[in-house]
Amino acid sequence: MKSLHRLLTAVGTASAVLATAGFAFADPIPETTIWGLPRDASAEGHRVDWLIKTTNGFVILLFVVMCVWMALAVVKHNKDHKADYDHGDSKHHIAIAMGVSAVIFFVVDGNLWFNSTIDVNSTFWNHQAVEKDPNAVRIEINAHQWAWDARYAGPDGKFNTKDDVVTLNDVRVPVGSPVLLQLAATDVIHSFYLPNFRIKQDAAPGMVNRMWFKAKDTGEFDIGCTQHCGVHHYKMKAKLTVLEPSAYKAWLEEMSAQKAQAYDEKDRGANWGWEWKQPHDNIDSRGGAAVSEADHDHGDKVAAQNRGAQ
Amino acid sequence: MSDRVMTKADIEAAEHLQHAHVEPKDFISRYIFSIDHKYIGKQFLWAGLLFLLFGGLLAMLIRWQWAFPAQPVPVVGKSLFPQSGGAITPPAYNTLFTMHGLIMVFFAITPLMIGAFGNYTIPLLIGARDMAFPKLNMYSFWTFALSQCLVIASFFVELGSAAAGWTTYPPLSTNVGTPGNGQSLVVLALFVTGVASIMGAVNYITTVIRFRAPGMTWFRMPATVWGLWLTSILNLLFVPVLGSAGILLLFDRHFGTQFFVTGAAGGIGDPILFQHLFWIFGHPEVYILILPVWGFLIDFMSFFARKPAYWYKGSVYAMIAVSVLSAVVYGHHMFVSGMSPLLGQAFMLLTLVISVPAEILFLNWLHTMWKGSIRLTVPMLFALGTVFVFGLGGLTGIYLGTISTDLYLHDTMWVVGHFHLTMASAAFLGSFGALYFWFPKMYGRMTNETLGKVHFWFSVIGVTAVFCGQLLAGYNGQQRRLYDPFQYTYIQHLRDLNKYTSYFAFALGLGQLSFVVNFFYSIFAGKKADKNPWDVGTLEWTECESPPVYHNFDKVPIVLRGPHEYNNPDVLAKTGRDWVGQSEQLPGEEHGLDAIAAE
Ligand code: HEM
Ligand SMILES: [Cu+2]
Ligand SMILES: [Cu+2]
Repeated sequence: MKSLHRLLTAVGTASAVLATAGFAFADPIPETTIWGLPRDASAEGHRVDWLIKTTNGFVILLFVVMCVWMALAVVKHNKDHKADYDHGDSKHHIAIAMGVSAVIFFVVDGNLWFNSTIDVNSTFWNHQAVEKDPNAVRIEINAHQWAWDARYAGPDGKFNTKDDVVTLNDVRVPVGSPVLLQLAATDVIHSFYLPNFRIKQDAAPGMVNRMWFKAKDTGEFDIGCTQHCGVHHYKMKAKLTVLEPSAYKAWLEEMSAQKAQAYDEKDRGANWGWEWKQPHDNIDSRGGAAVSEADHDHGDKVAAQNRGAQ
Repeated sequence: MSDRVMTKADIEAAEHLQHAHVEPKDFISRYIFSIDHKYIGKQFLWAGLLFLLFGGLLAMLIRWQWAFPAQPVPVVGKSLFPQSGGAITPPAYNTLFTMHGLIMVFFAITPLMIGAFGNYTIPLLIGARDMAFPKLNMYSFWTFALSQCLVIASFFVELGSAAAGWTTYPPLSTNVGTPGNGQSLVVLALFVTGVASIMGAVNYITTVIRFRAPGMTWFRMPATVWGLWLTSILNLLFVPVLGSAGILLLFDRHFGTQFFVTGAAGGIGDPILFQHLFWIFGHPEVYILILPVWGFLIDFMSFFARKPAYWYKGSVYAMIAVSVLSAVVYGHHMFVSGMSPLLGQAFMLLTLVISVPAEILFLNWLHTMWKGSIRLTVPMLFALGTVFVFGLGGLTGIYLGTISTDLYLHDTMWVVGHFHLTMASAAFLGSFGALYFWFPKMYGRMTNETLGKVHFWFSVIGVTAVFCGQLLAGYNGQQRRLYDPFQYTYIQHLRDLNKYTSYFAFALGLGQLSFVVNFFYSIFAGKKADKNPWDVGTLEWTECESPPVYHNFDKVPIVLRGPHEYNNPDVLAKTGRDWVGQSEQLPGEEHGLDAIAAE
């Protein structure tokens, strides 16, 4: 009975969403060239792309210099050339070697270090600032073999309550707002990866990790798992849908209305959420009692499924 | 020891310390439980080559799967994967890449690089008659052989061999994710092979400290010895960390402890702790595999450019610096594990600092070649190829040492391309270069040069194409360890790239046949080697026949100069040769034995 009810709810929700949102995207757009990074759909991904591309420039230059140097030596200083007798250990020689290494280090590695430090502190790992943003969207993600559960707080703004919206392999966010994720896992370690947003973060059992991103384009994008997590690791794929804010709002409202009806307090497996961790909370701290118990239940099921799968 | 002239006392002390062992006559102590470092070196060589073949075949299967996902493997498929009609299944695939990685690192490259060349060369290169602890050396090999047996056995138990990735992260590597006994056997094999490595390391370290011939000062040692010695120190310090992680994991798997278990299965352990232990070992491990290669490169560049090694001390200091730094950078493997941002940034800075000694090494290799008189022998070709791939590998690593770029590239094929160019290709080409170089000494015969060159071109083009293909796939975002990468939309366009990469891999694999033919042909029917076919000055070539007698040196040699004296004008004037032996007495040169004769 319960499952029939859930199925009906799901079908109902799906059609309602399609109707209200008025959106029907094709699947994510395939990339066209193998010579580039995938499409950048995030507001901050350009930082990574810029750093990768400038470093490409340096790296290609250094590599070409090395190859030309070797090739010239092999061609010009071959067995017909008389070798110099030079141990290369005069002060002058050492100074040149140290100087060249220092220049390469300060320019190439310095550039990486300097920009990465700024990007990480100002942006990628700066969750505190995003927490303060009134537009921030919060989502809890629970990874398990081999799917991604997502949980939205619903109208009451509190996680792990009756009106939470819970989806499977389906994460929807509004364009232009920062999206904060808190990630946990039920069974083994997974890693939440958004190639088009240049970011990933592990989801491990026993801890809650954070990441955030902001979409600059609407559309559909792949969510992948980048941590080997067992037999069907390669299938652990989900969809990220970036919607216009109004469409997102409509979807969420519709979903939570449906969800409130379908809520079943006793179905602990479905109630895996935790109280949102504040920035000062230790990320290693476990979820509340709810999460561990729920995890337990859910985990037994997953373990049983695993056994079946093997 | 200093550069002073040796006295009679020095020489007597050396002779006393290193009394010559009598060659045993019975079959068992000669050919099975041999305590002769040269023979043990060959045992490691065979064991390593066999597993290199094994690991290589597994790699071919992985590449098959990516070129032709889920299609039956030709020829061997039906017998390997009978249930699926010859196609690789997802669980089988996980075992393939896991065991490929573990076999290559621990059971192929380690025995080749450290077991074979370490054993064979260290005593000969420093003028010793054997290792400091010959019996321990024998135990080390047989312990290692036991670990290889465990690996083979793991394939025959229910649910097959290990499948949790070479990194063996829990909880996946606990009963939660890999319940079969194959996983346990492999973790046990790692522990046992670690014991063998530690025995070898103690031996090498002691031998180098205690058994250098009179006059063989630290900076007169060939760079090969430096590389192997530093590697041994890293092994001694860090292999025990892997061992402890492995033991705790086995406890979790079999005795109900919960060091690493948590989550749905219950348990209060910490899976991240395992990652720390693994990488505290794991990062030094990549230098363990590469330091001997650096040593070979420094020596070979000088030998075959007929020029002294450029700023030799600088290269040695650079190797020491890398060895020290290797202990404090491991966190770059855990940037996305949820580590503290402050810690992450410290690891980033320390990682980038490694570029400095690496640059010094590269500059010294290049300067050594420059204005030389380069002989493109097969070992030199392999050395040049190694510098080439290691250059690519090193440069692609800086993206991964930097946090923000690693957020994108972490655990993609970029990582796989990068570490194959550094650790795999450089170690692979470096080992073959070393094998072609020392083969005449080991087997008393020359290898065939044409076949050697064929082998070189197949190998260098092969590894470059394959691993650049993997880099490119990673640049496009393709994750590693995917049974079927094409589940994802954003890598649909990489089908051809993956296919062509696989074709190059198959060509690389087939090209190795040129080595197999050359190796067997040359052992039995190669041209007889002279004492010193390469005209170099290190002790194994100037003081030993090819192959050397059982006790290496009738008289412990007295070393008078460094290993890289090529085109020395003084030597040219006195002998007409562009090289001079490390222990060769030139006319008018003072020598310890003169002093003794005078007494
Ligand atoms: C000789 C040709 C080789 C080829 C064609 C090759 C190819 C591959 C491929 C296709 C993978 C799978 C990556 C994945 O599943 O995402 C892989 C993984 C790996 N390889 Fe190789 N490889 C070769 C040699 C080596 C060598 C010599 C070493 C060691 C020094 C090595 C070490 C590894 C490791 C550590 C992994 C990672 C396994 C894991 O993800 O758990 N490989 N290789
Ligand atoms: Cu996963
Ligand atoms: Cu590392």
